Amino acid sequence: MRIAVLVKDVPDLVEELELDESGRGLAVDDLSYVPSEWDDQALEEALLLKEASGAHVSAVALDTGDVDNMLYTALAKGADRAVKLVGDYDRTLPGRQRARILADYLAGAGYDLVMTGVQAVDDLDGQIAGLLGGMLGWPHASVVRDVAVDSGAVRFVQEYAGGRMAEFRSSTPLVLGVQAAKKPPRYVPIARIRQVSRSAALEEVEAGGSPSESLAAIERLYRPEAQGHATMWDGDAEQVAAALVALLDEQHLRS
Amino acid sequence: MTLRTMLMAATIVVALASVGVFSVRGRAIWTVLRRTRPVVRWDRIGERLLSVGTQVFGHRRMVRIPLSGILHYFIFSGFVVLLLDIVGTIGQVFRPGFGIGPWLSLAVDVWVALVLVGVLMAVYNRAVLRPARFHGSDERDAYMILVLIAIIVVGIVVHESFYPVVAASFFHVADPSLKSEFLGNGLYHVWQNLGWTTPTAGLVGYTVGYLMDIGVVFAFLAYLPYSKHFHILLAVPNIFFRNLRPIGELVESPPDETMAIRSFDDMRWKDVLDLFTCTECGRCQDVCPAYAAGQPLSPKMVILDLRDRLVSDWGRSEADAPPLAGGAVSREALWACTTCGACQQACPVFIEHVPKIAGLRAALLEDGDVDPAAQKVLVAWERQGNSFGQPARKRPEWAKGLEFPIRDARKEPVDWLWFVGDFAALDPRAREMTPVVGELLHRAGVDFGILYEAEVNSGNDALRIGEYGLFETLAQKNLKVLEKATFQRVFTTDPHSLNALKNEYRKFGFDKPVFHYTEAFLALIQEGRLPVSPVPIRATYHDPCYLGRWNHITEAPRELLRVLGVDLREMPRHGEQSFCCGAGGGRIWMDESGIVERPANQRIREALALPGITHFVVACPKDVSMFHAAATALGVDDRLRVTDVTELLAAAVGLRATPLPAAMAMGASE
Repeated sequence: MRIAVLVKDVPDLVEELELDESGRGLAVDDLSYVPSEWDDQALEEALLLKEASGAHVSAVALDTGDVDNMLYTALAKGADRAVKLVGDYDRTLPGRQRARILADYLAGAGYDLVMTGVQAVDDLDGQIAGLLGGMLGWPHASVVRDVAVDSGAVRFVQEYAGGRMAEFRSSTPLVLGVQAAKKPPRYVPIARIRQVSRSAALEEVEAGGSPSESLAAIERLYRPEAQGHATMWDGDAEQVAAALVALLDEQHLRS
Repeated sequence: MTLRTMLMAATIVVALASVGVFSVRGRAIWTVLRRTRPVVRWDRIGERLLSVGTQVFGHRRMVRIPLSGILHYFIFSGFVVLLLDIVGTIGQVFRPGFGIGPWLSLAVDVWVALVLVGVLMAVYNRAVLRPARFHGSDERDAYMILVLIAIIVVGIVVHESFYPVVAASFFHVADPSLKSEFLGNGLYHVWQNLGWTTPTAGLVGYTVGYLMDIGVVFAFLAYLPYSKHFHILLAVPNIFFRNLRPIGELVESPPDETMAIRSFDDMRWKDVLDLFTCTECGRCQDVCPAYAAGQPLSPKMVILDLRDRLVSDWGRSEADAPPLAGGAVSREALWACTTCGACQQACPVFIEHVPKIAGLRAALLEDGDVDPAAQKVLVAWERQGNSFGQPARKRPEWAKGLEFPIRDARKEPVDWLWFVGDFAALDPRAREMTPVVGELLHRAGVDFGILYEAEVNSGNDALRIGEYGLFETLAQKNLKVLEKATFQRVFTTDPHSLNALKNEYRKFGFDKPVFHYTEAFLALIQEGRLPVSPVPIRATYHDPCYLGRWNHITEAPRELLRVLGVDLREMPRHGEQSFCCGAGGGRIWMDESGIVERPANQRIREALALPGITHFVVACPKDVSMFHAAATALGVDDRLRVTDVTELLAAAVGLRATPLPAAMAMGASE
């Protein structure tokens, strides 16, 4: 089983996010970036598959900035190969164009299974896996976990609302948007990553410029706007309780 | 064949057999030692000899437990005297008429008596008192040794008592030392009364006594390397080769690739020597906070399990053999360690437990086996530079409410560079005190500055979790700004940062003096720069491990409290024998399952046993957090107030009211 895990980095939400001057994007220069946590889950699930049934795992990232360390980390964790798709793009690359570049690469690269995070903080509707499935004409499923290889096919569980789930079995090639790995993503010591970065090379694949895709344009990006204000009740417990009862009565919530 | 020929032949046979059996084990150990990592322990010979003097001949650490110290001194000194007896006894068989003279013969008999008293005390200790520290030790081995020692010294008296007979009848010489060998002489008179002074009785009695003495001595020698009693030979070199560098320095120089211990080859030779020197006395286990908390860690068992593993395959493990980390020593035991160092401090033969535990942790970490909560902190250190996962810009926020600006040491020269540390900067409770420290420095007219958001965690705990690479990354980030800044000394409230800056950064060439705030404020008060009025409370003081034990700073905080007029009462465990709060070595972030009673709770109860104590004074931001939680958990926070030294200083200079426990505060307001 040849697995490609698509990884990317996203703004670290610990830092304060600022809007850029146009008001249509984030001020990316001030941000610090961390690996997307769902991609980490996808990578872990792929490595667990490798340990269970001997898959060959490649970590694949688009060179939208400083992705080398992320790829070395994937190698240090146990990936067999790291591929950096190089071209003229940066971190503002929209998801649809990102998917096109990845699809062009994946189409001829001979992978059986493509795994990526179900979503990312900058792609909460989780489009990458679905777009890739569509562009490549491969089966696709998202919000999956418990991925297993079963005599050439792939089994997985898909989660639904209300705690329901379904088990699937699919032929390959296949694209999966991974919700969670069977175990928390492993830790890899920094010394090991440094060692790998000295001894292993990233495979660079020329992926060309930004493809033209019909894109939805962002008109305005803004912070959540307050619609009303909370009312704070002062006073001792008696007074607060009386206010609470009055409110329940007012809202007809007390039987 | 004469008696002499027979005894000489027997002596030579048992000696050769003994040396043979001994050298089989000796060679195996030597082979392992030769494959280990290097460490320099041949420097500072004078200090090393002095250590041997105070610790071997002075028994300094041994006598901390008086009964054991005294009984051991009797037996230990008996071995020195035993050498005289061996020379004298073998000598009189090989060279008729040989003797060690009346005075040395007298000494032999005096020590025979002392050794017997020592052995009886040891049996009483093991069989009646049964200290818990022996739990897990090889009791059969211990008794075996006591029996062998008893046989040897009784044998001495037996052959002495028959010597007059064989001297006259078989060796045809006079017995020159009869009078001074008072035990042998006394027994000789017993034989006379029983009529056992015939040549035949003398022949049998002397042979029996000789073999009990010399025969068992050689048997003992052969048994030594297979038993905890190897320490008879190894304790002296192990103490001689003790660590004389600052003990707070966990890793002496950057490791080639990794600090992980996966095989015995990854240990330093001293670590292997430690394993065979262990006496199984359990003093380390007795002081271990993890063991006391009910966790599956005993520093003694770490050493013994490693030793047993080593002698089971001599370090030539098959590929499928269980690993050292997570096999020979369980992962739960390794992650339970707080790296407080109490074990090393208690060890009478100077075994270094913590570097081994840290090396084994590094091996676990390389395999991704780390507590999930600790893993989050490792990631936070790497990404945000602090253990709270807070953005760097929040680090200096505590300084915002101050009425004066704190200088930016990155931009202008300062006299004191204040390394704030994660907890003092970001922990919700500990950071309440941080602006007060700033006010105190300001009031004393100190020219000081901080590194603002450029400061990152010192890496002290990352290193102790076994993550050398992350420690180095953090250290380099700090050193990059420290090297650009101009300052005379480093000031910190955090003992963990102090330890890293003072001891661990030296390998990168950082050598600026580092002071703890207790030392610094004591000096300011003594120089008259910070006038104080008395704070009349009765308090006890908790020594933080990374201040007291690892950096020997125990007097300055006490002197400071005295200067502040505090009525200081000591807990039984204080100074370098302090008891850890349970937070060190990354433990503060790890899972607590399996803990029966938290070390911090035990410590608060230790303080409560002191009469009339109202304040539990701490000098470490982590301690503020740990002991507040403990006092609250025990429901005693209304009568015992966990107080940082800063709060007392603030009260003494009139910046704040004296902090009082709730019960007293209510009393005062009535």
